[in-house]
Amino acid sequence: MKPIQTDVVVVGAGPGGYAAAFYAADKGKKVILIEQDKRLGGVCLNRGCIPSKALLHATKLITETKESAARGIEFAAPAINLEKMRAWKESILDKLSQGISGIAGKRGVEVLNGRGYFEDSKTLRVETKEGQKFINYGAAIIAVGSKPALPAVFDLGNKRIMTSTEALELEDIPENLLIIGGGYIGMELGTVYAALGSKIVLVEALGSILAGADPDLVRPVMRYAEKAFKEVRLGAKVLKMATSGKQIKVVMETAGDKKEELYDRVLISVGRVPNCHDLGLKNTKVTVDEKGFIKINSKQQTSDTGIYAIGDVAGGILLAHKAAKEARVAVEVIAGETSLFENIVIPAVVFTDPEIAWCGLTESEAAAKGIKVEIARFSWAASGRALTHDRTDGLTKLIIEPGTERILGVGIVGAGAGELISEGVLAVEMGATAKDLAACVHPHPTLSETLMEAAEVFYGHSSHALGRKKA
Amino acid sequence: MDIRVPRLGEGAESGTVVSVLVKEGDKIGKDQILIELENEKAVAPIPSSHAGTVSKVYVKVGDKVSVGQSIISLTESGAGAVSGAVAMQAPESKAPQSSSVAPAEYVYESKSGFPPPASPSIRKMAQEIGLDLAKVKGSEHGGRITLEDIKAYVHSLQRTAFTAKEMPASSFKAAPAQESIDFSKWGPVSKKPFSSLRQKISQKMTESWTTIPHVTQFDEADITALMALRKKYTAKYEKKGANLTLTSFVLKAVVGALKKFQVFNASLDEKTQELVYKEYYHLGIAVDTEQGLIVPVLRDVDKKKLLDLSKELAALAEKTRQRKVSLEELKGGTFTISNLGGIGGTYFTPIINKPEVAILGVGRGVLRPVYKKEKAAPSLMLPLALSYDHRVIDGAAGARFIRAVAEALENFSEKDVKI
Repeated sequence: MKPIQTDVVVVGAGPGGYAAAFYAADKGKKVILIEQDKRLGGVCLNRGCIPSKALLHATKLITETKESAARGIEFAAPAINLEKMRAWKESILDKLSQGISGIAGKRGVEVLNGRGYFEDSKTLRVETKEGQKFINYGAAIIAVGSKPALPAVFDLGNKRIMTSTEALELEDIPENLLIIGGGYIGMELGTVYAALGSKIVLVEALGSILAGADPDLVRPVMRYAEKAFKEVRLGAKVLKMATSGKQIKVVMETAGDKKEELYDRVLISVGRVPNCHDLGLKNTKVTVDEKGFIKINSKQQTSDTGIYAIGDVAGGILLAHKAAKEARVAVEVIAGETSLFENIVIPAVVFTDPEIAWCGLTESEAAAKGIKVEIARFSWAASGRALTHDRTDGLTKLIIEPGTERILGVGIVGAGAGELISEGVLAVEMGATAKDLAACVHPHPTLSETLMEAAEVFYGHSSHALGRKKA
Repeated sequence: MDIRVPRLGEGAESGTVVSVLVKEGDKIGKDQILIELENEKAVAPIPSSHAGTVSKVYVKVGDKVSVGQSIISLTESGAGAVSGAVAMQAPESKAPQSSSVAPAEYVYESKSGFPPPASPSIRKMAQEIGLDLAKVKGSEHGGRITLEDIKAYVHSLQRTAFTAKEMPASSFKAAPAQESIDFSKWGPVSKKPFSSLRQKISQKMTESWTTIPHVTQFDEADITALMALRKKYTAKYEKKGANLTLTSFVLKAVVGALKKFQVFNASLDEKTQELVYKEYYHLGIAVDTEQGLIVPVLRDVDKKKLLDLSKELAALAEKTRQRKVSLEELKGGTFTISNLGGIGGTYFTPIINKPEVAILGVGRGVLRPVYKKEKAAPSLMLPLALSYDHRVIDGAAGARFIRAVAEALENFSEKDVKI
C-alpha cells in the first residue's frame, strides 16, 4: 500500500495534540491527527479536567444549600438523579468534542481514527477500522498523554476498584469510599463523592495531602476535608486488597497500626503513567527516562530527528495547559522559527473546596533551593467580598525577590482561586514588581483585590491589613 | 530559520534578484548559492549560511531586496541534537554577539537565579535576534526590560561599533592579546620593548588597513628629461643652500594633480557622511627615522617655489630624523608621499594615511630602453604606486590622477625650476 505523505502527523488528540495540529495547519502545513478514541479531546476532555469540573460544579450546590441554612435559607434534602447528571456531563463532553472535530475540519486537518504505531523513524502505521494505513511524515508530534497508575497489587479486576476514569463515570454513590492517594485527583473526586453523600476515608502515604503545594495554602483544604470526609489518614499505607462479596476488604497500616476494613468502592489516585507502550518507540531513536516519559530538549525534540513529544508523555507537570504551550513550541520549531520552552510560567490549580492555585516560585521551592524571598500575605478574613461569600478561609500571597521587589510567584487558596491566579501569571511573566501590582486599581468589592492588597501589605500600607513584620 | 540578505559591501544596501536557484522542498547544503543579486557594482551570488530543507522561498526574480530581508526559510537538518542555540543571519544580530564591540559591562544578576525581568514578547524577540537580555539594563521598577531599553542597548552597540572603527586604539586594547610564544625553545633570543612610536604606527596602520578598502594603482613616469633638468640646476640650487631632489619635483607634480582632481585632497567624514574638500595643499612626507616612520607635513605646497620647497623639505626631514619635529608639524596633511627610491625597489602598496584618501609611493628609477615612435631610447622610468580609498575614489579617477602625476613629471616646465 502506498503510504500517505504529510508534513506533520500528530499522535493523540488531547489538548496538546489538537492544539499542535491546528497550529501547524495555521502555519500552512499538511497535518494528520491520529486519535484512537472516538471522541477527540483526550483525557482532559473525556476523563479528566472537564468531567471532573462538571461534577464539582453540580455537586457544589449540595454543599452550598447546607451552608445556606445559617444565612436563613433552608432547603430540603436533594433528590439526586445520577442518570440525568451523567447525561448532562456527557452532553458537555459531546459538545466540546464536536467543537474540536468541527474546527479540525475547517482547518483542513485530517483526523484518522485509529492507533498509531511507529514502524521506523519516518513511518507511522495507523490501525483504523478500514485496515492499516501508513503515513510518511516530515515531522511527528507524540502527544499520547498519560493514564492513571494502577499498581499491580491493587489490580484485582474488580470494577469496585476504580481509577479516576471509572470514578468520573459515576456509576453509583458508594456508601463507603476509600480513596488511596491525597493528590489533586483524589481530593477533587473526594469532594464530589462527599457532596453526594459518600462516607470517605482518604489515605495518603506522605505526611500531607496535596504534596507540592505550600502548606499554608493546603491548610484550609485540609480543614475542609477533615470536616467533609469521614477521615483523612496521613502517613498510611494500603498493604492488601481483596474482593469480599460486594465489597472490598482493605488492609492498611498507619504508624505501625494495622487495620482491616470493608469498603463499597476504592478509588486509586496514586499518580499517572505515560502512554508510551505499544507506540513502536523501539523502532525509532526516541528515548525515555526511568519513569517512561519521553526525553526531550527545550525545543520539544526527542532524540530522534523529526520526532517531537509534548504534554504528559513528555513528563514535567502533567497539565493540559502545559501541553498546549509545548504544542506551540514544537510547531514553531518545526516551522523553522525560534522557540524554546524555557522560563515559562505554568500555573497549577487544584479544584478542591476551597481551590488552591499557584504560579511561578512557591515558598516551599524557594526554601528547598535556598532562594531568599520575602512573602507578603493577605488573609481573606479582611476581604469584604470573601465575607459576603461566607468564605473567609482564603489567603493570597506574593513571593517577592528582595531588593528588586520583583514578583517571583503567587499562591492563592480560596473560593475561585483558579480564576484569580491568571493575574499572578501575568505579573510573573511580565516581570512585574509588587509596586506594579499595588499601583493597579482593582475593582471593589472583588476577590481580585486580595492580590493588590497583598502587594500593599508588602509596603505596609494595605487599608485592610496590617503590614508584614519587616525582617 | 530564515536566511537573510547579508551585508553586501560598502554602499551596497540593496539589490535586484536576477535569479532564484532553490525552490521549496529542496535540501540544500551550507554555502550553496540561493539567489543571485545584482546591484550597482556586480552580480553577487548569495550563499546559504546553513544546511537544511527549504521550507519557503520569499523572493522572486525582479524583487528588490535589501540587507536583512529574508530570502528563504530553512528547516534545519539534524536539528535533533541542536540545543537552545539561536541561529540568525541578519547583520543586526551580529552586532550584539560580537564581544569585541560589546559596550557596557552590565550583566544582570539575580540572587534568586532567575533570568532578567522582561515580558514574554520581549523575551521572544530576544530569542529570535540572539540577544542576551542579561546584558540589557532594564529601566522599569525592579529592572524590568522594555522595548525601549532594547532599542537603547542596540543603539549603544551601534555607537560602540562605530567608535571602535574610528578609534582602533580602544578596540585593540579590547581584543584579547595573543598568547606569548616561547621562541627560546628553538634557539637564543633577545627582547626589546615595542616602542610607543611603533605602537602608534601599528595602531594607525591597522586602523587604515582594516577600515579603508585600499586599491593601489601602478604607473611609471619617464623622468629622463626631468633628471637632465635636475642636473642642470643642482649646482645653482646648492649655491642657494638647497638640495634639488626628486621628491621636490614629485611634490610639485602631485600638487598640480590634486588641484585637477580635488577629491584626492578631500577627507571622508564617516559620522556625517560628508566629503570634506580642503582648499589648502599640505603634503605629508614619509620620513624614515631610526625609531621608525614619521610623516611631517609641508604646508601650502601649491604656493611655494621649488627652491623654497627644496630647502624646507631638507630642513623638515632633518628635524624629523632628530625627532625635533613638533606635534603640530605632523598634523593637517591632505595627501602623503612616500619615496623609497633612495633605498631601492620598484613598486609597493603604500597604506593610506587616514583621514587622507590617497598616498603616492615612489620607487627607484630604472634605466631601460623604451620604444618611442618605433625607436628604442634609453629612458629613466620612475615606478609610481597610488593607493586610494575606494569608498571615495573610483578606479578611473585613480588612473587619471596617477597619469596626471606621471605626465607632470615627464613634462616638467623649466621655468618652474629656474631661479
